[in-house]
Amino acid sequence: MKVKYFANLRDITGTKEEDWAKPEATVGDLIRDLVARYGHEFERWVMKDGDLWSLVIILVNGHDVRQLKRFATVLAPSDVVVIFPPMGGG
Amino acid sequence: MHGWIGKIVRVDLTSGKITTEALDPVMARDYIGARGLGTKIMTDEVDPKVDPLSPQNKLIFVPGPLTGTYAPSGGRYNVVTKGALTGAIAAASSGGTWGAECKFAGYDALIFEGKAPNPVYLWIKDQAIELRDARHIWGKNILDTSDAIRAETDDDAKIACIGKAGENLVLFAAIMNDLHRAAGRSGVGAVMGSKNLKAVAVVGTNGVTTADNAAFEKIVLLARDKIQKHPVGGTGLRLYGTDVLTNILNQVGGYPIKNGQDGYFATADKLGGETLAKTLLKRPKACFSCIISCGRVTKVINKQFAGEGEGPEYESSWGFGGDCLIDNLDAVTKANYICNENGMDTITMAATIACAMELYELGLITKAETGGIAIEWGNAEVMVELTRLTAMGEGFGKKLAMGSYRLAESYGRADLSMSVKKQEIPAYDSRAIQGIGLNFATANCGAAHVRGYTIAPEVLGTPMKVDKDAVDGKPALVILFQNLTAALDSTGGCLFTTFGIGAPEYAGMLSALTGVEYTQESFLNCGDRIWTMERQFNLAAGLTAADDVLPPRLLKEPLKTGASKGSVSRVPEMLPVYYDLRGWDANGVPTPAKLEALGLSR
Amino acid sequence: MAKMLMINADKCTGCHQCELACSISHEGMFRPNAARVHVFTWEVEGFSVPTMCQHCRDAPCITVCTPGALTRDPETGWVNLDDDKCIGCKMCVQACPFGDAIWDEKLSKILKCDNCGGDPECAKACPTHAIEWVDDLVATRGRKRGFAEKFKQAFSE
Repeated sequence: MKVKYFANLRDITGTKEEDWAKPEATVGDLIRDLVARYGHEFERWVMKDGDLWSLVIILVNGHDVRQLKRFATVLAPSDVVVIFPPMGGG
Repeated sequence: MHGWIGKIVRVDLTSGKITTEALDPVMARDYIGARGLGTKIMTDEVDPKVDPLSPQNKLIFVPGPLTGTYAPSGGRYNVVTKGALTGAIAAASSGGTWGAECKFAGYDALIFEGKAPNPVYLWIKDQAIELRDARHIWGKNILDTSDAIRAETDDDAKIACIGKAGENLVLFAAIMNDLHRAAGRSGVGAVMGSKNLKAVAVVGTNGVTTADNAAFEKIVLLARDKIQKHPVGGTGLRLYGTDVLTNILNQVGGYPIKNGQDGYFATADKLGGETLAKTLLKRPKACFSCIISCGRVTKVINKQFAGEGEGPEYESSWGFGGDCLIDNLDAVTKANYICNENGMDTITMAATIACAMELYELGLITKAETGGIAIEWGNAEVMVELTRLTAMGEGFGKKLAMGSYRLAESYGRADLSMSVKKQEIPAYDSRAIQGIGLNFATANCGAAHVRGYTIAPEVLGTPMKVDKDAVDGKPALVILFQNLTAALDSTGGCLFTTFGIGAPEYAGMLSALTGVEYTQESFLNCGDRIWTMERQFNLAAGLTAADDVLPPRLLKEPLKTGASKGSVSRVPEMLPVYYDLRGWDANGVPTPAKLEALGLSR
Repeated sequence: MAKMLMINADKCTGCHQCELACSISHEGMFRPNAARVHVFTWEVEGFSVPTMCQHCRDAPCITVCTPGALTRDPETGWVNLDDDKCIGCKMCVQACPFGDAIWDEKLSKILKCDNCGGDPECAKACPTHAIEWVDDLVATRGRKRGFAEKFKQAFSE
């Protein structure tokens, strides 16, 4: 699946987007693997108290996971996942 | 008085007479200041049916009680009048440092009446106020105007002024202060130009007092801490500016492109805040007393679009960018500079060009009319040139100067103007985000995002996440945001503090500062009062429920791309619920009971 | 080590919080003209700089002060102004090469930074560390490190 990063996540991961080869059943599985890969800096902009930070925008094919099942949202191999840390307003 | 100074200046430009009068404490308490106070004065003193560009209109420069204190990001002022673009009540808000200087000079409001026989500017140094000849400054751009006035008054004078656009009565002319900050929308700059008023220059050496220094300090430190801890106001806006919204709106399919035809732009990233930060950004900039620093000091070195200044903000980046099918950030930034240098609203300018691009594609505007310019989608050079022509009042720019509604109407296609009450809709697609569409339809100044910024809950998820595609609960949400914003705008505070604080902190700051007791409820009630008073003005001006409507495109043409593909705006379903919750009748007229409850009965 | 107010102008956003914090703390009201720190903004370039008394070791203001209202504390290194001894002759205003001794007619006194007795309000108020209250020897460490990094980048493989 394709994963796209915005704002300071681009600096933290070193990329704007990547093809993520490992199969992930849910958004939570994907995020936990991304945290394992990119470390604490990534985690502090996406997680809070062990769960998805409520101000983070994660879209699966354009749909906000906070309207779906948050970390329990199911993923398919062809999905496009977009992650925005809480930076935006105006 | 504390927070407020207690004094208003009245300038009769026709006779040249300048007087001062006391600020009524009851009026101050009920309408707070800035937007609320200015609208109250307009309501009391101006016939809503006046021609905005006639001497009978008034132009009011008005900071708030917080302005001039260290309330976080609390340094703003409003320009209130009847809008030249819309024929509706207008309250354009600006930051920078001008508003604070007005308070330090000793004034809560400056009311301009009539029309000067020749161009003039007002020069205020504390109690010394005089009208001065501006004939030798008329025609100068914002920078040259500011330099010229400083040379004959004071090196450190703060200047609010118009450029050629205001002088030529471009219907969306803006008033600029601190060179790069705009009281931007609804044509307040044209009203200023119609009065032959070139500038207001201020030096203030006095201060603003509090009723309780210790209590004010306590609530301010608390508010400041909350804002700094929120990632948007505390970090995001300083790093990326408002333009960080480009990619967010685009990825949710709510980024209007091609005069609002669809909601996704494949190359939007080239216009976004991330790209801006890596290419054109020199450093962040703050307004008076601001801890958020969303301002972008930028420079374009590309010879074709070279310039320096501030911006672009998200709205400007969107308008000159995706709405015109352009992804060249240098060109977008140049167009933004031209608007700042000459005093024009970027949203209306950009959306008017986008509308012209569609009219040109349809063959309604021809090269014969444009002096050979092909107004084609995606043509960055043409977009910049049209902006320049509008600022200078030359060629086809003279037609663009009337804004998209009158432009499209002149070709029999008013339906192609993406506007409400003749004011162009900002950078959010109402078909992908239902609540903001309702806000656009009902905002009293015409379509405006900041009047009820439901993008925060609907897209960003702050203070909580709501489903952007749902309509249930949206009327109540829109009303809450509209009321809170009306009250907050009236304090002199900045809306971006709401990433962090809200009504409780504002009520606390106002109480400690002024010594007048505000609660969360009474603060929001002020907002309801101010909103309803604006509505009353508009109804008396001749606007009706028929003006609370989005353009047909958003109601009838479904989105073709993105997660909300297939959707249209459902404002028509939400509007009756909105009226009802506001305590208005089915025609959107506030009921006598509602007016009585708000203290607005005549 | 002594402490000093360090100015990092590249971080200044022109917000004037320092002026407001200074004036409310010293004069009980928000009045930038009564502040002992001032911010200058160049609007075209968008560059801002805060300035205040530098507490000079060989202070010209002390040299010209006939009633001895201005003195230097040997322990802290600060130049202190005793309002009671000051006669308002304004010779310090003439002498300070930085323009940081200010005469305010309204208050009828000289305004000069006093480091707020060791806990400067301006440094606390500044949201971007454009003004910092730091140990003298580490005052420029961040700046030096930033510049040293250019060497690292130039030489790295």
